[in-house]
Amino acid sequence: MPLLELTHISKHYPHAKGSLRVIEDISFSVNEGEFVAIVGPSGCGKSTLLRIINGIVPLSSGQVLYRGRQVDGINLECALVFQSFALMPWLTVDDNIEMPLEALGIPPAERRRRASLYIDKVGLDGFEEAYPRELSGGMKQRVGLARALAVEPKVLLMDEPFSALDALTAISLREETLDIWQAPDSPVHTILLVTHIIEEAIELADRVLVISAGPGRLLADLRIELPRPRDRRSDGFNAFTDKVFSLIEERS
Amino acid sequence: MPLSGINPIPEGNLNWVFGLLELLEDRGGREDGYKIARDLNIKFDDVLRVMKIAEILGLVSTPAGDVVLEPLGKQFLDSDVNQRKLMIREQLRNHGLFSYLIRLLKAQEDKSLSKEVVLEHLAMLLPHELPERQFTRIVSWGRFAELFGYNKDSDRFYLDQE
Repeated sequence: MPLLELTHISKHYPHAKGSLRVIEDISFSVNEGEFVAIVGPSGCGKSTLLRIINGIVPLSSGQVLYRGRQVDGINLECALVFQSFALMPWLTVDDNIEMPLEALGIPPAERRRRASLYIDKVGLDGFEEAYPRELSGGMKQRVGLARALAVEPKVLLMDEPFSALDALTAISLREETLDIWQAPDSPVHTILLVTHIIEEAIELADRVLVISAGPGRLLADLRIELPRPRDRRSDGFNAFTDKVFSLIEERS
Repeated sequence: MPLSGINPIPEGNLNWVFGLLELLEDRGGREDGYKIARDLNIKFDDVLRVMKIAEILGLVSTPAGDVVLEPLGKQFLDSDVNQRKLMIREQLRNHGLFSYLIRLLKAQEDKSLSKEVVLEHLAMLLPHELPERQFTRIVSWGRFAELFGYNKDSDRFYLDQE
């Protein structure tokens, strides 16, 4: 049984002239342990899709199944990592990570244990009492990552997590995301990543879902059969980049 | 004149260094700084900065505009994030400015100082640098290496003792 199964998902927003169709009839499934990337141009509804999976955005029609069952409301087994980091500026690193745990009703001792465990996992030791504005973008996203991991989700939903970072920082965080995904002691082994950068999707994912813009439709579901670590300058890599690029280009 | 062996901390963050090393690994351990700037579409100045930082940390050498992965850099790439932090910690212990601050903090009864006092030392040690800016970089690197901590609320710059 797939971990996540989306069938005929559509999302329409009410609009002055009828309705605005953001996502149109998308179906796919994700197996446990897979790293799946969703790529498409801006406005293809890919971020909305992540939020539908998480349950913070309700769908217009279709069905999302988690382990074969429909989830009412927010799926607490899925945690989001945002492009904007979404940190609270008045809280320290430690408190930013503990805050969602408190909201989940986790007792203080367990909150502290998890915060310190995931601070360590993402290399934030030493930054516990720093405030977000004292941090570089890369360190802020490490906080975003630790905060999501501390919930100990089964699925990590990453919405353009490296897009607000400079190129060198993005390289290092991509690498560490792969490490987290592959580490046997990591809580989460399934990742859904939304990106508009084709190379990023092909470098990281087992499968790349290509989505068209306005409304978002699934154009292709490609299995990236390239050995890891992947060399962005190899012929195989370029063949996949060209394929995804032409799929998107044909539809825009 | 600055005291001998005490150099300022250049602008830039340590995440850049991680990225640079990963890139070098993908390119067989050596690359032209100019090509890195071009391929990543970033400013050449920024590439020079990260090359300088990685060199201060002993992870690369920079002969004639190239960046070359040094043995320590290779070891760094084979390590997890916490081992990497330890390696940076060991390198910074020998950096003039860091070792000065370690000695200074050790001499305090509670192993800590207010920011104001640290700024005075920085102004004296590095007369050509803005102390505030140096302090920010020292705190950021120091936290990363788990050498120093700084608590903004209680205004204490302190030795991070594990």
